[in-house]
Amino acid sequence: MRMFATIAKLLVKRVLTAIPILLIVSALLFCILRILPVDPAAMSLPPNATVQEVEAMRTEMGLNLPLYQQYGIWLNKLFHGDIGRSIHFRQDVTSLIGSTLPATIELAVIAMGVATVFGLAGGLFLFYVRGTRAEAVMDFLSILLLSLPEFLWSLFLLLIFGVFFEVLPFTGRLSPGFERPVVTGFLLLDSLITGNISTFLNALEHMILPCLALGIALSPSLMRVLRSSLLDAYQDDYIQQARLRGLSEKRILIRHGLKNAILPTLSLMGVQFGFLFGGTLLVEIIYSYPGMGNLMVDAIRNADLPIIQGAGLTYCIAVLVISIVVDSLYLILNPKLRVR
Amino acid sequence: MRPLPLWLKSGRVQTGLVIIFILAVCAIFAPYLAPNDPNEQNLLSILTPPIWADGGDAMFPLGTDSLGRCVLSRLIFGARVALTVAFSASIGAMIIGAFFAHVAGYFGGWVDWLIGRVVEIWLSFPPVILSLILMVGLGTGLRNVVLAIVLVDWTRFCRVLRSEVIVLRRRDYVSAAQLVGFSHWRTITREILPGTLPLLITLMSLEMGVAVIVEAILSFVGMSVGSETAAWGQMIADARQNIYDAPFNLIAPIFAIFFAVFGFNILGDGLRRTLDTRLTQTERT
Repeated sequence: MRMFATIAKLLVKRVLTAIPILLIVSALLFCILRILPVDPAAMSLPPNATVQEVEAMRTEMGLNLPLYQQYGIWLNKLFHGDIGRSIHFRQDVTSLIGSTLPATIELAVIAMGVATVFGLAGGLFLFYVRGTRAEAVMDFLSILLLSLPEFLWSLFLLLIFGVFFEVLPFTGRLSPGFERPVVTGFLLLDSLITGNISTFLNALEHMILPCLALGIALSPSLMRVLRSSLLDAYQDDYIQQARLRGLSEKRILIRHGLKNAILPTLSLMGVQFGFLFGGTLLVEIIYSYPGMGNLMVDAIRNADLPIIQGAGLTYCIAVLVISIVVDSLYLILNPKLRVR
Repeated sequence: MRPLPLWLKSGRVQTGLVIIFILAVCAIFAPYLAPNDPNEQNLLSILTPPIWADGGDAMFPLGTDSLGRCVLSRLIFGARVALTVAFSASIGAMIIGAFFAHVAGYFGGWVDWLIGRVVEIWLSFPPVILSLILMVGLGTGLRNVVLAIVLVDWTRFCRVLRSEVIVLRRRDYVSAAQLVGFSHWRTITREILPGTLPLLITLMSLEMGVAVIVEAILSFVGMSVGSETAAWGQMIADARQNIYDAPFNLIAPIFAIFFAVFGFNILGDGLRRTLDTRLTQTERT
């Protein structure tokens, strides 16, 4: 019971500190994008608009007001769930984000799963071969892997499996001819709910390469942290104690070593998961994956300020939410923090 | 002759330095090394394969891109952008990050609190997104790429160095310096900075690798240097359009980026192992 109380307390505290952070971030975003040398008013009018028309539009859009007032208006609208209309797509930014965010979340979550599997397996293996010659090789290999960021992996895997061997699809989410079921917006979930197994499998097939690219790129740092925290844990007396009690090495590793070493890995995963949301951007572009990253880059190329602001804020909220979730998980798993 | 310092004996450090040296030679002597003008378009010979493949042209050892520009020359000139960004951005990020880290760690109190909160705000943004948004605000160009990376990545230095400063500040020799009447500035630069220097150098080396990647990402989406300067990310973006016709055009810049990042990473890892006084002897070998 006390555990729930501490977690609840932490949640409240974190959410309360997240609010000022979001306010400052939104103000920063607003200022950075207002110094841009583009005129949203002129952009939303046809090219043959007169100077008077542009001026009228500027007044209507509130662009002639002082910056802090513009920000106030924007913030007020934000609280009412209105973050403006895209100049380029002529659509509400909320609906644009709403239709792309689920795709990015699906990508990020599955990629994180892949990274966890590779990271844990690799870390355990690195630890298992400690002190042997294989360790030096593996260690070198992990630096090699660390030097390949996710977008190089994406291109690399695309070349191998998509272009040379042609075994996996590498554009979009579904092959032509597949109907897209819409229930929650999450394609994988929706195709399962509606019972379209073939659609589900096709969507899954499209996600293999991007998820592998992201997962492989993230895993080396997880491996290295897990290895070094396992090494740390094995310095402690309880490992010797367990050995003296005659427990098998496997049991010591899983029940005693891993249980203590997993925490630093978990907290790194939390940080990485937040960054992963940004890292998907490049992967989405490379695989023409219709997520937030593609939306963001389209918006940047068209200088579409409302989308850039909205998407930027959404990324920021995602990072904050993830870090709060990870902190709570940390508390659940780490008994040392539970006692006040 | 004096024996080599310990850090130079490490194979990793040597590997890293050799790679960086090769890249630096390419960057500095690019006009002499490159067989062609990197921006010269030969529209009659577009997408020629590399010299060892069928139809290769000795004029273009690694083939040409979709506008008939020499891939090898662009690769060599691309090293200029990559290294310029790597060095200037990491130095800039280091100076800002180290300054705030030392101030926060040394003075503590509300200064530490304030700097900590600023770092927290920065970290609530995925770095790629933040640098893209900054590039939108700043506009393209080499100087702005460097500025954007500095503004995003100073927190990497600040976070790690701050905790190091807090440890060092409790040392007796720091208190001794304060008792003798050293000014705060002098205590930080003479007593604490020498202690944080190994970590600082290691972080800088790793940051150079990060900067190369970020520049490649930005130029891939067309938000880095203008199109008249050859950059590895741009080459990737161009090659992606012709992935079936000229897959090698994609492999070449991927390898170049990997080579550079690997050089900086292995140097950083080697430095960490040899300079970090807290590592045990076994871990160092």
